Amino acid sequence: MIEVDAEKCSGCKKCVKVCPYGAVTMADKLAVIGDECNLCGACEQNCPEGAITIQRKKVEIDESKFKDVWVVAEIAENKLKNVTLELLGKGRELADELGQTLCAVLIGKDVKSYTKVLGEYGADKIYLAENDLLEFYNTDSYNMIISGMILQFNPNIVLFGATHVGRDLAPRIASNLELGLTADCTGLSIDEGRLLQTRPAFGGNVMADILSHTRPQMATVRPNVMKKLESPTDKVPEIVEVSVNVDPRGMRTKVLERTEISGVGAVKIDEADVIIAGGRGLGSKENLKLLQDLADELGGVLGASRVIVDEQWLPKSQQIGQSGITVSPKLYIGAGISGAIQHLVGMKSSDTIIVINKDPNAPIFEVAKIGVVGDLTQVIPALIEAIKAHKAAQ
Amino acid sequence: MKIVACVKQVPDTTEVKIDEKTGTLIREGVPSIINPFDQFAVELAIKLKEEHGGEVSVISMGPPQAKAVLTKSLALGADKAVLLSDRKFAGADTLATAYTLALAIEKLGDFDLVLCGLQAIDGDTAQVGPEMAQRLKIPQITYAENVVFEDNKFIVDKLTESGLEKLQVKPPALVAVITPSDFVPGNPPFSKIMKAKKKPLDTWTADDLGGDPERFGLNGSPTWVKRVYSPPRKEKGEILTDPPEEVAKRLVEILAKEGFL
Amino acid sequence: MNIQTFSEEQDLFRESLREFCEQTIVPRRTELEDKKEIPDDIIKAMAEFELLAPSVSPDFGGAGFDAVTAGIAAEELARADPTCSIPVLYLVQCSWGHVFNKFGTEEAKGEILPKVTKGEAICGIATTEADIGSDLGNMVTTIKPTDKGYVINGNKNYISGVREAAKYGGGHVTLARQDLEAGTRGMTMFFFPLKDVPGVTISEDEEMGREAISTGGFIIDNVEIPKHYLIGEENKGFYLVHIGYEYARGLIALVCVGAAMKSIENGIAYIKERKAFGRPIGKYEAIQFALAEHYTRLEMARDFAYKALYYLEKEQSEGKYSRMEVSKIIAMSKLLTPGWAFNAIDDAMQWQGAFGYSRECPDQSALRAIRSFTLAEGSREIMRLIVARELLGKDFIAYK
Ligand SMILES: Cc1cc2nc3c(=O)[nH]c(=O)nc-3n(C[C@H](O)[C@H](O)[C@H](O)COP(=O)(O)OP(=O)(O)OC[C@H]3O[C@@H](n4cnc5c(N)ncnc54)[C@H](O)[C@@H]3O)c2cc1C
Ligand SMILES: Cc1cc2nc3c(=O)[nH]c(=O)nc-3n(C[C@H](O)[C@H](O)[C@H](O)COP(=O)(O)OP(=O)(O)OC[C@H]3O[C@@H](n4cnc5c(N)ncnc54)[C@H](O)[C@@H]3O)c2cc1C
Repeated sequence: MIEVDAEKCSGCKKCVKVCPYGAVTMADKLAVIGDECNLCGACEQNCPEGAITIQRKKVEIDESKFKDVWVVAEIAENKLKNVTLELLGKGRELADELGQTLCAVLIGKDVKSYTKVLGEYGADKIYLAENDLLEFYNTDSYNMIISGMILQFNPNIVLFGATHVGRDLAPRIASNLELGLTADCTGLSIDEGRLLQTRPAFGGNVMADILSHTRPQMATVRPNVMKKLESPTDKVPEIVEVSVNVDPRGMRTKVLERTEISGVGAVKIDEADVIIAGGRGLGSKENLKLLQDLADELGGVLGASRVIVDEQWLPKSQQIGQSGITVSPKLYIGAGISGAIQHLVGMKSSDTIIVINKDPNAPIFEVAKIGVVGDLTQVIPALIEAIKAHKAAQ
Repeated sequence: MKIVACVKQVPDTTEVKIDEKTGTLIREGVPSIINPFDQFAVELAIKLKEEHGGEVSVISMGPPQAKAVLTKSLALGADKAVLLSDRKFAGADTLATAYTLALAIEKLGDFDLVLCGLQAIDGDTAQVGPEMAQRLKIPQITYAENVVFEDNKFIVDKLTESGLEKLQVKPPALVAVITPSDFVPGNPPFSKIMKAKKKPLDTWTADDLGGDPERFGLNGSPTWVKRVYSPPRKEKGEILTDPPEEVAKRLVEILAKEGFL
Repeated sequence: MNIQTFSEEQDLFRESLREFCEQTIVPRRTELEDKKEIPDDIIKAMAEFELLAPSVSPDFGGAGFDAVTAGIAAEELARADPTCSIPVLYLVQCSWGHVFNKFGTEEAKGEILPKVTKGEAICGIATTEADIGSDLGNMVTTIKPTDKGYVINGNKNYISGVREAAKYGGGHVTLARQDLEAGTRGMTMFFFPLKDVPGVTISEDEEMGREAISTGGFIIDNVEIPKHYLIGEENKGFYLVHIGYEYARGLIALVCVGAAMKSIENGIAYIKERKAFGRPIGKYEAIQFALAEHYTRLEMARDFAYKALYYLEKEQSEGKYSRMEVSKIIAMSKLLTPGWAFNAIDDAMQWQGAFGYSRECPDQSALRAIRSFTLAEGSREIMRLIVARELLGKDFIAYK
């Protein structure tokens, strides 16, 4: 499946260096591919001599059968999620480039009212499925309905938000229909008519460009990465009502209890544009007040590293990181957070990262755009004062 | 209760470094570990077994070296292990991985619960769990922090973006877990490691699994990695060490420039 | 690369233990120094992780460690606890638990060892006296058979774990003279309890380091112990005591390597960061050369220590190699390693400048602790005597 052409291989070791699995070794100045090889292709792409080839099976796709770009809409607390609007923004670009239609898939109980906003943010057409049993997300029913729609309408591209719901649902559908699915994309573009999907892997240490050779091409996309339309239009989308039969017996998981811990109506941390996060360096719960004041000035929400949640100073819904929520706000201010890797992977794709820490060696400085070495109990009050002064001056 | 836990061997991505000059990953010296969420899955499986009786099987697909994570799982208290190892499995995307794992789970026989991690820290997709559940035609719950068994049902605590949900599902089901904040990974002592040595650990190849050979590995994978490269390096940040008032001034300048004020 | 290759299980054990140490011991260093005792919860965690007398057979709650595995734990514990208090408790119980387990009576083992492995009692070693250390044949403590058991008189001094044994229970594997005419051939080994024993007066010493484990002495005034506390045969104690010593010496070498390697690693991190005269001090060859030498010595010491323990294990479990051969190779391992380790830590502290001398720096704890190992369980001079005796033969023993 993977072969090294002994004639061409110059023994330069480039492949040894680029292999993320450490699978390539050199024997007699010839690259040898070991068992650890996962056929990821890094060596193939990087070989200056073109000596390494992976045999891939040829796949013929009848592109003409698959049309349109779909965005699966997500609603939380009576509001469309930001990521849905962002996906419409991106979807618009893709659809225009392909000369196809941008469609939204809207599922729920009494959700027709959302079609207006979906249209304003770019959707040409909306596939609408309404049923009283669809009030809350359920893997089984949503899978059944969307899989059915895909089979019926043959879209070319289907995009989901990489949210807790999207990441639960999209792979279920992909497996149901035997489709490729690219996870957590941070970039989407059209490459020779195909969807080129860019995503981080290895904890953000590498980026991968991925293509699917099944249709529709499916991807989940990180929130806060794509841009929604800057000036919403007043377009009225076409609505296609899809009748659905929902059998409650087919919904095999039941919600017994729902606890909203971030406070009803509060901006969810994964959707926030501005996050002010605190860590161990806060020292005492009282200092959270400082962060709250700063958040109020900047219109942000509070986030936390794991210790703060363990201490129960903030609820679990505010925990950023590997076992919490992954965020990528426009502005992240971290105070007293040293930057354990588990926290870093959850925030390092934020746009502007400002950190305040006493210890100049704290790992979080490595991802910071602005690093302040100082005492947060002095820096933050000073910052709040300065912001107030700035606002007053305007 | 019969439980199957899926464990993946992964490079400790927290120790992966980027070569400053070439911009490539430095794999050398990076230890291979059990995917952290999967260790919780295994320990949760063992806890359920201890409370309700039964058997815990662990499976892993990977190169022969992946045996280490199975041995560790056995030392933690799992009863038997199967390594799925074959060159034909190489290059599997999540769909092919889920196909292979699901075949193995079916081959192991009846089960009540499949536990897996929400996501592996290398591939990072979180897709294998739901894709397996679909293939096994069983319900799934993802982002789970705990599972208990009551009245013949699993009660699962699930983390949502705005809070928590308590869900109920009848066996057989698949639950994909994240580590709750109070989880301290267990470390097996020596005698358990020695006991693990005596527990069954089989290796199954593509032939052992049967199934459609076209659906394993690279051939069975609809996604293709076209290019792998290192992310554009963020330029080194600006470090401010001035007194708080000075720092505050500079920060306001930046915040204003970026449109946050 | 190790000459001694470890089994897959041993590698897994080291990995598991290192995690255990990171979770349980590493964050508690200053607490060990300040409170001057090993906190109960650590003892409990060690019991669960089978680190208390793990050489003892599983019948008595032990983990059935072989000597090489025991060495792995010694090395890892010393990396985690620079005060070496935990490693000392570990190595003493592992070594003397082995002797007790192998030569004690079933009754005594059933009574005492399960408590030791659970962390409810101590099993130490007491040979040294106020006026005698190396020259055991001239000790003053005596043991006399009675109808019911034995009566002991005398004293022991500089003994590790006395306060703990008096507080929690357990006691010490002890040596005394029985046939006063026969010198070292008239010595008997037995278990001597320390908690609430009438006729025993306990004292404590203040030590330079290893603050979380006590060192002390006890005067024994006509104390009777039951017959089943006898270890091995009467008048054969001097032979048995060397098995325990050798076990302990082998482990001490790895405690030294573990602690010193950790200091060297701390030193490396520091010299890469710290700048003097415009560049990291790690750029100066004076520093680099010292680093290279310490590291080389420690790696050599490490491999040799595992080799020595491997010999001991083969001799103890399979009768391979002679006692004398094992004595020699173990003595070689303990002869130079504590000194090398001490010097390595000394330099690692030096590289860290004033910080190295501050309480905040773990390496100063290690320095003070490691200094004891040129003495404890046999001084370095005695190690030289043993090696030379094996090379030249008995006729060349100087003091005969
Ligand atoms: C750079 C890069 C990017 C990739 N992107 C994609 C992509 O977008 N889409 C895609 O389909 N594939 C992708 N792949 C392939 C994917 O990494 C592999 O299919 C991998 O085998 C499983 O995916 P994962 O690591 O993301 O597992 P996840 O789905 O994150 O794993 C979830 C859980 O499934 C179980 N599990 C996963 N793998 C195994 C295993 N081998 N043995 C036992 N249990 C297991 C574990 O319990 C794990 O915690 C990518 C690969 C690379 C190298
Ligand atoms: C921290 C600590 C803890 C200890 N814990 C215990 C314990 O738990 N149990 C226990 O029984 N003992 C314990 N000891 C005592 C230790 O075993 C003795 O210190 C050691 O055996 C040396 O005995 P000594 O101190 O009486 O010195 P001595 O025997 O009096 O010797 C003094 C010096 O003379 C040297 N010397 C002696 N004979 C010769 C010779 N023939 N040629 C050249 N030089 C010679 C010695 O090497 C030493 O340097 C401990 C010691 C320390 C420091």
